Amino acid sequence: MYFVVPFERAWHHRELIRAVVRRELKSRFRGSLLGWVWAIAAPLAMLIAYTFVFSVALPVQSQNISITEYAGNIFCGLIVFNLFSELAYRAPMLLHEHSSFVKKSIFPSEAIAWIASIRAFVYAGISFVVLIVFRLVTAHWLPVTILLSPLVILPFALLMLGIVWFLMGLGAFTKDVAHLMISIVPIMMFATPIFYTLDQIPPEFVPWLKLNVVGDYIEMLRALVMHGQLPNLVMYFVCLIVSYVVFLLGYAFFMRYKSVIVDVI
Amino acid sequence: MSSDVVISCRNVGKAFQLYSHYNDQLKQALLGFWKKFYHQHWVLNDVSFEVRKGERIGIVGRNGAGKTTLLQIICGITTPTTGSVEVHGRIAPILALGAGFDGSLTGRENARIGGAILGLKRNEVERRLPAIAEFAGIGPFLDQQVKYYSTGMVSRLAFAVCAHADADILIIDEALAVGDEAFQAKCERYVEEFARHGTILMVSHSLDYLRGISDKVVWIDGGKVRAFGAPEPIIAEYRAAILSEAAPVGA
Repeated sequence: MYFVVPFERAWHHRELIRAVVRRELKSRFRGSLLGWVWAIAAPLAMLIAYTFVFSVALPVQSQNISITEYAGNIFCGLIVFNLFSELAYRAPMLLHEHSSFVKKSIFPSEAIAWIASIRAFVYAGISFVVLIVFRLVTAHWLPVTILLSPLVILPFALLMLGIVWFLMGLGAFTKDVAHLMISIVPIMMFATPIFYTLDQIPPEFVPWLKLNVVGDYIEMLRALVMHGQLPNLVMYFVCLIVSYVVFLLGYAFFMRYKSVIVDVI
Repeated sequence: MSSDVVISCRNVGKAFQLYSHYNDQLKQALLGFWKKFYHQHWVLNDVSFEVRKGERIGIVGRNGAGKTTLLQIICGITTPTTGSVEVHGRIAPILALGAGFDGSLTGRENARIGGAILGLKRNEVERRLPAIAEFAGIGPFLDQQVKYYSTGMVSRLAFAVCAHADADILIIDEALAVGDEAFQAKCERYVEEFARHGTILMVSHSLDYLRGISDKVVWIDGGKVRAFGAPEPIIAEYRAAILSEAAPVGA
């Protein structure tokens, strides 16, 4: 019973979540001439820049990997990490941003986490499509395993929701959480296999890096999208369970303090 | 008999926690089982009353008596510290008109979100948009960004959305004081119309209006129910109480 409550509540508020997500997506590019072109142009520019840097400026040493594949690997890692960092930066301020909603109307504040996450995943999804097209154009083939990527993306979404609920709840009480995120997220970036892969790391450090669940998701998504391999199944199920637990705990934490939060923001 | 009761407040109390430091809130949330970091301020104390289906209840009381907090608790925006509230039916709260509106969106888009907050499905909102626009009477401004609206126009639109939410219970906090007289008259007509099938809970300082429309009146004084019953005597007594307090200032 307890395991599905967050989904039931979200389903109950689906019309509201949909209405606000539509608003946020629409208003992001309002007033700009090119509108949604920017959503595609930004990741594309990044991808071209990485390809250029690692082919001309900092040529890759490794022999058995092409430059475009290397750039694709990095881009794949960045999509996942940027999604995480955007949410981690934004989550502590979410309730402050929506305070008039939360305090003055019958707005279910837990839905804000769904709204913020869906928004972030839509933008990441655009980048993901850019990556797939890039891969198709440069390598002329796509691994079949790409079809399995939702099985990795969905648990990752649960992990993100759980983290957002935690940070959102804590952030309502103290602004320190926002500052803390600004300090630790860039450091986390180095502890995440974005610009490197785990097999380039001295083996004694690998178990420590594997503790970083975001990094594990990057490795799994890379396996499916870039290498056409199945991810390590043990790793997959551990991540799945960890994510689901974080999701449930985050929700429980937020709901526990929800009524207090209304009075403090 | 008891199935008629749509709102029931039992011994409702609400204490706000006052902190001397901003971060004491966090300490309280995490370490509250161990030590107290705040001073309590009771806004409501032992408030009990029942509202039956189709009743029109007026709420009177001075500023700071706890009226708005009571309405917020009934709407479920905040939770009572003690006691419990039970509500049967869908509530349309008209508390702070236009508070949830986003200035960068058009009136139409805000109406869609406002409708969704009140529990309407998307196609239901779409179907009602013409009626909402008609009721608000803001003409072509409906497709302008809300930041260009006047205060009155924001309130008109917000009231219009609430009025078309198909609610069972209407909760109004001072909202009818906005807008020009023509719009006020429209709102009052709407409230009378609504009262034929729905339940109304209304806070107002215009006592004559309340006396005309209410079946019963609750007088909240210092966070407690001072009187609950027929409007005439309670409003007369309340008026006498505020006049006697106002007199020394005028003398």
